[in-house]
Amino acid sequence: MLEMINVTKTYPGGSVALQDINVRIEQGEFVFVVGPSGAGKSTFFKMLFREVLPSSGKVIVNGHDLVKMTDKEIPYFRRQLGIVFQDYRLLPDRTVYDNVAFAMQVIETPYRKIKRRVNDVLDLVGLRKRAHAYPTELSGGEQQRIAIARAIVNDPILLIADEPTGNLDPETSWEIMDIFREVNKSGTTIVMATHDREIVDQMEKRVIAIEHGHIVRDDAKGVYGYES
Amino acid sequence: MSLSTKEYFVRETYKSIRRNGLMSVASVSTVALSLLVLGMFLLLFLNTNNLAQYLESQVQITVYMQDEADDSVLENTRVQLEGMPGVKKVTAVTKDEALERFKERLGEQQNLLNALGTDNPFPYSFEVEVDAPERIAELTPQIGDMEGVETAKFGQEVVEQLFQITKILRVGGVVLVVLLAFATLFIIANTIRLTVFARRREVNIMKYVGATDWFIRWPFMLEGMTLGFFGSLISILVINISYSALLSRIYSTLAFLPMLPPYPMLLYVDLFIIISGTAIGAAGSYVSLRKFLRV
Repeated sequence: MLEMINVTKTYPGGSVALQDINVRIEQGEFVFVVGPSGAGKSTFFKMLFREVLPSSGKVIVNGHDLVKMTDKEIPYFRRQLGIVFQDYRLLPDRTVYDNVAFAMQVIETPYRKIKRRVNDVLDLVGLRKRAHAYPTELSGGEQQRIAIARAIVNDPILLIADEPTGNLDPETSWEIMDIFREVNKSGTTIVMATHDREIVDQMEKRVIAIEHGHIVRDDAKGVYGYES
Repeated sequence: MSLSTKEYFVRETYKSIRRNGLMSVASVSTVALSLLVLGMFLLLFLNTNNLAQYLESQVQITVYMQDEADDSVLENTRVQLEGMPGVKKVTAVTKDEALERFKERLGEQQNLLNALGTDNPFPYSFEVEVDAPERIAELTPQIGDMEGVETAKFGQEVVEQLFQITKILRVGGVVLVVLLAFATLFIIANTIRLTVFARRREVNIMKYVGATDWFIRWPFMLEGMTLGFFGSLISILVINISYSALLSRIYSTLAFLPMLPPYPMLLYVDLFIIISGTAIGAAGSYVSLRKFLRV
């Protein structure tokens, strides 16, 4: 469902972010991407949702050739994805409900359907009761749960998470991971960048390690493998 | 576009205008001012054009007779002139009458005439009115060739000068319109840029969840159009009121000046201003959004 073939990315100015990357991820997998900061992880992620194009090579996500994709097709492609960031990226002037509904309004879902679905995902992340609170009234873990709710509200095929637990304490991190596990169980592919050694080691999922723009390790049931 | 999407756009637009209260007011006033200048210029131009056409239609041919021409030649010329196609009226102006008119025009400086002594230098002339101004150019040389005629002239200079002025106004008008349009565009673009900047996070998130560029653009475009629309509304209000006031002033003091009546002209001017104001608002938003949509 996700494939990178001989992908190299050189930024203007000559810095090489990724070099000759070959990776294949199947539908329903749960994959951790680890590696030191500046190793090329963010470029790798940005490439998955077509914010960055490879300098050479091929990126195929859910059957779409991202290199050949026109600018007009990008929004429709992104609707099949869910993206979660380390800093949550919620809109502070909207309630929890509106933040989640926003992702459905944007793709012009009818009002009724929005209401039902938003309440469902808020249940899933356990925050239905806080639907009318504003993000600033919530803890970091709660905010991230809202961000996940927003990312999954449109039933994505692929969920991309860039250090979703980076700002959270261990206990809260596990709550978040439980949600991801639930989402993954329902068939959604998850690709997650993380620096959290404990999580990677205990989840026993596939681990891809990127260093200096190369994939240095790709284990089916991997460990974090770095001093954290 | 579904109804709930439209509602969403309208809500977002309203929220954004309120949030940028002061800047919105500034934009509306700037648009109003530039369109006001634009509209006044348009009225000036239309009226000058009208004046030129009016004067052209008023033109008559003045036929100056040779001093040697005797009464039978004069009578003959008169009959001939009256028989020409398109000639409506022929008025004879004797030498004495011409002198009288000149005296009148001199007013208090009549002593200048003393230099003439008893001579009357003014020729006998006919004033020929025609039914259509186009005939003048064709008739004038014909009359000039007639027996006993010294020269035949029409108020060419005045009309040509007026048309010259309208031409300048027309070219200057286009330049001014373009400049003002750009100024307005720039100001609206700037206001919207502030709005977009304040909401760049939101635009960014919208891009990530798969909003199309047009979906993101619409609320901002509506905002620009609203600002442009209200700006033009204010300017047409001022224009309509001041033109009517100007007209009543002119009627009471300079009644001979042919001014265009307010209707239907003002309706067209109003429509033009509203459409351009709104369009400029939309264009301004479009321009300022371009940078932020590249994610």
